[in-house]
Amino acid sequence: MKVLVIEDEKELSDSICTYLANEQFVCERTFDFGSSMEKILLYDYACIVLDVNLPGGSGLDILKELKNQNKTDGVLIISARNSLDDKVFALKTGADDYLTKPFHLPELAARVNAIIRRKSFDGKNEITCNELKLDLGQKNVRVNDNPVDLTKKEYELLLYFISNKNRVISKNAIAEHLWGDNMDVADSYDFIYTHIKNLRKKLLQAGAADYIKSVYGMGYKFSV
Amino acid sequence: MKLFTKYNRINLLTTIIIFVLSATAFYFVIRYILLNQVDNDLMIEEGEIETYALEHKELPEPIPVKGQRISYTLSDKDLKKRQFATDHLAGEKDSYRVLRFKITVKENTYIATVAKSLQSTDDLTMSILLISLATIFVIMAASLIINRVVLKRLWQPFYRSLDILKNFRVDKKQTLDFPSTQIDEFEFMNQTIQKTTNQAQQEYSLLKEFTENASHEMQTPLAIIRSKLDLLIQDENLSEDQSKTMQSAYSAIEKLSRLNQSLLLLAKIENNQYAETTRINLMDKITEKLNAFHELWHNQNISVSSSLKDVSVDLNSELTDILLNNLLSNATRHNFAGGSIKIILKEKELEISNSSLEKELNSQKMFLRFFSQDKQSRYNGLGLSIIKRISDVSGCSLRYNFTGNKHRFTLSW
Repeated sequence: MKVLVIEDEKELSDSICTYLANEQFVCERTFDFGSSMEKILLYDYACIVLDVNLPGGSGLDILKELKNQNKTDGVLIISARNSLDDKVFALKTGADDYLTKPFHLPELAARVNAIIRRKSFDGKNEITCNELKLDLGQKNVRVNDNPVDLTKKEYELLLYFISNKNRVISKNAIAEHLWGDNMDVADSYDFIYTHIKNLRKKLLQAGAADYIKSVYGMGYKFSV
Repeated sequence: MKLFTKYNRINLLTTIIIFVLSATAFYFVIRYILLNQVDNDLMIEEGEIETYALEHKELPEPIPVKGQRISYTLSDKDLKKRQFATDHLAGEKDSYRVLRFKITVKENTYIATVAKSLQSTDDLTMSILLISLATIFVIMAASLIINRVVLKRLWQPFYRSLDILKNFRVDKKQTLDFPSTQIDEFEFMNQTIQKTTNQAQQEYSLLKEFTENASHEMQTPLAIIRSKLDLLIQDENLSEDQSKTMQSAYSAIEKLSRLNQSLLLLAKIENNQYAETTRINLMDKITEKLNAFHELWHNQNISVSSSLKDVSVDLNSELTDILLNNLLSNATRHNFAGGSIKIILKEKELEISNSSLEKELNSQKMFLRFFSQDKQSRYNGLGLSIIKRISDVSGCSLRYNFTGNKHRFTLSW
């Protein structure tokens, strides 16, 4: 699957591509308005990561052009602007999601994954990962067809891990994913520890393998 | 002291002093002139007596006239010059002007005493004095009234300007509109105020713009650092020490981006970017927040009780979100395992209180930016100033009190 990263800040673009590039994704990059316009008209992408402020024009104009051409590429807007108006405007114009800078790469990966899933499996909303089966519509989890009773946060956590398989996710990234930007309690990592402990216990009890590993107290890794 | 009063006092005092001095001088001058007049009369009398004595070789018989007495006494004393004096004569109520002079008749030397009553003179002096005193009072009263009425009216533009200036806020985009006046000084003052306030507003908006731009510009480098850290920890060969270093770097970046976000938020609030309001059902909003926080509280063993009334208020929806998040986050962060949080929503106010091990906050400084009770705090000290700022721009009042080891914030609208 091809992902296009349109971001004028080369260092950030590097990071995004390095993180996203795995067996699933092939990453292409453009750094300005003109070349981005060319690319989107020539090729189809599973998902486009689109910065709003670009040299030569606005990312939102690229988005409008995509919609004018009836392209179905998923679009994730990344922007330094975080006001509700900007978000609403981008989503109304046809973006699939909106992420405010600075973000954590696992968060970006999770959003890109979610967009691609929504685009490609219309209707059949399921993720399978070995013996784990997540029903995204019902928001429930089965291990070898046995239902696992997870709380909302534990479910979100599992989905986040599966979207970032085999990657170390920092506690900060997990906290921000679970509690969001506004809740200013994210620095209390005890909560994360409790959630992960419970999730792990429930999955093990349901007969799943022990996927979640702690990495030196710095973060966690879902190893498949 | 009012300028009027001060001015009136000085004015009145100098007027009184001047009038008293001039009245005194006036009194003496009038008296001098009148006495001179009387003295002249007495000298005419002297002349008449001398002429009579020369012609008849005897002293004229003193004819008693009202207010005039003449008497002669034989004397050997030599009276060189005529002598004037003001005297009380025996058996007389009024004072008299007396002229004594030497007169020689048939080898006998007499001292003639001609006295004229000063009663009419005194009366005249008195009435002149009274008239001038009355004039003083009339003038003083008139000037008082003039000062009060006229000055008050003259100062009117000044007070109007003050009133307009009172409503001036440097963070509001308004130009002060002073009514024109015909008084040059006030016109000059108004122009100066207008210029100064315009300049202040300009500087302020530049400063606001700067803060917002600076915060915006910081987002990208922060995003890069964060992303590099996210990549760095993927390295399988990281040692435990390196991981700890990474964790510190993470925390610092986290703190920095939160700080930056808070500053940006404050700048946006100041820039009136959240002016739009909608009718918000606070009960629904709070219930939503309670659900979001539920797991957090459950994990921390914090018991939460709430009593919510179905209340709707006109507020900005984003700011309300941030406000509630901040209030509830505060109540959670500064709590302890087994503690409690109480949320009461009434018709006109929202009250959020929490148990805490921390002592009472300094109510003078708690809402200042970057103020935190203890310097080692993990928090950036902007949370409360954001809460305060939001309640200010939303037209709510925020109160804090500390009773029974509970911190209580009350928001009323």
